[in-house]
Amino acid sequence: MIRTENLGKYYTSHSHHEVHAVRDVTITISKNSFVILKGPSGSGKTTLLNIIGTLDRPTEGRVRMCGEDITSFSDIALSRLRREKIGFIFQDFHLIPYLATWENVSYPLVPLGIDIRKRFERAKTLLEKVGLGDRLDHTPEELSGGQQQRVAIARALINNPEILIADEPTSNIDEETGEHIVEILTEQKSHGATILVATHDTRFERVADVIFRLKDGKLE
Amino acid sequence: MNKHINLLLLATENILRHKTKTVVVCLCIVAILSPFITAIAISEGIREQSLISVGESADLYLTYDEFGRNAAVPLKYLDEIKKIFGVTKAIPRIIGRGYLQNKLAVIVGIRREDIPPSVSCISGRVFEHAHEVIVGYELANHFQLHPGDQFSMRGQQRKTFTVTGLFSADSSIWGASMILMSFQDAGELFGKQDVATDIQIYTLPGHNSAIAADLYDIFQNEPYRIQDKQMIETYFKKGFMLKEGIFTALYTIAFALGIPAILVASGFGLSERRREIGIMKATGWNTLEVLELISFEQIFISLLGAVTAIVLSILWVKLFHGAFIAQFFVAEMPMLPKFTLPSRFLPLPCLLSFFFAFLLTMVGSIYSSWRASVEPPVISMK
Repeated sequence: MIRTENLGKYYTSHSHHEVHAVRDVTITISKNSFVILKGPSGSGKTTLLNIIGTLDRPTEGRVRMCGEDITSFSDIALSRLRREKIGFIFQDFHLIPYLATWENVSYPLVPLGIDIRKRFERAKTLLEKVGLGDRLDHTPEELSGGQQQRVAIARALINNPEILIADEPTSNIDEETGEHIVEILTEQKSHGATILVATHDTRFERVADVIFRLKDGKLE
Repeated sequence: MNKHINLLLLATENILRHKTKTVVVCLCIVAILSPFITAIAISEGIREQSLISVGESADLYLTYDEFGRNAAVPLKYLDEIKKIFGVTKAIPRIIGRGYLQNKLAVIVGIRREDIPPSVSCISGRVFEHAHEVIVGYELANHFQLHPGDQFSMRGQQRKTFTVTGLFSADSSIWGASMILMSFQDAGELFGKQDVATDIQIYTLPGHNSAIAADLYDIFQNEPYRIQDKQMIETYFKKGFMLKEGIFTALYTIAFALGIPAILVASGFGLSERRREIGIMKATGWNTLEVLELISFEQIFISLLGAVTAIVLSILWVKLFHGAFIAQFFVAEMPMLPKFTLPSRFLPLPCLLSFFFAFLLTMVGSIYSSWRASVEPPVISMK
């Protein structure tokens, strides 16, 4: 389903030093698998997820998705890929602060031409699923960290993505909500999605099919 | 199609959500466009009224020529002029200026029967006897003159005039500060008898050339000057182009200073917007959809700003009589005129105003939005 080949991402720091965030990473992720990326802070987990999730481009190497080299995709093709196949859950949620919960969740549907009533219904269904059915009209600042993370999960699920990528989804939230998130992602896998999670949380290990460990940008 | 409707509705919601930004950008647009629209409207109104006046007036104007300027023409030729074939009417006038206390007034001496039909008394009656006058509304209002009151011109205290009526300023802006009196009274006032400042000659269509030849025979070697309607029209147009040019030059400077303000205002919240665009891209929006949304927002803001500017300009002209701006176009006009100026709000300047507002707001937002949307989302979201 997803294969990275000799993937590398280098940055030039403010002090003009080259920083190797990811180096020579080659991994294969099978369809409908639950994959965990583990590693200490700064090991390159987020960078690798961003590249696989098409939010960033690698400096070298390739990412193949369903056999296609997506690193050569145009901006518009990458947007289509994100829209049709990928759901991304960010560590710091990335919700739009002035939009209500349901609007944040349904935001990806706006350019699809889906009318507002259907958008609301789909957002409501997902928010009820993540336990926020009573918070439809709240703005992100009126929600706790755990609730915001669940809104971000609902938004990632709005297009029924084949690939769900989550970056430290339980790092900023309480124990109970963390457990709930593990359940939601497991449920998505049972519906056929491929799950890729970067996490330190050991609760994910019990549901994971594969665990990759990164250190200093390299696969261990 | 539904996609575009969704983007249009979302743009409207965004405009309403970001009230402060919308108001600030609209105010900038209004501050820049309103004086421009007002000035164009006044200029067009005056131009139209002037050209109508020219169109309705005499076919030929006869004066003398002294040192290259118009000079008084002797009345001794009046009867001969009237007899020329093709001349239907010849009206001598005296037009001059004088001070009523500290205020400059236009004095027109004309025979009672030759008063133009466009001059209508709003109170009192037209002069009938010697030393009777009718006064333009603005002048009368300024000095609180009413029918029956008497006054003297500055430096002419021995000549006293009685106001018999007031005429409407709306008939013409030129009438606002005008004093209309008999031809004889005007001659006495200016100390010039048996001359007119000009003779208006009305002719049958197609006879102007023949009449000009006859006038040449009458005046022989006298230094006379004939101007026809087309020449007068050309003078008016040239005069307005000059005034509009002066206004445009001054306005361009003010405008150049205003552009950075609107660019700054339309760039308010740029980092927040950049982050939002990153989120949109990360969740599947493409660059064109992002730019379409931003363009719709700018169209709404521009429309709002331009419409507000047009409405304010109408109020500026109708309620505040083009205060501070009218003096660019009308000589001797005070900063706060006391009567309604003629104005014309043509569609083209209004349309141009909208496009201009759109251009300004787009310049302030589209490039930064495009940059944010073509970057990898992870960079824009930072």
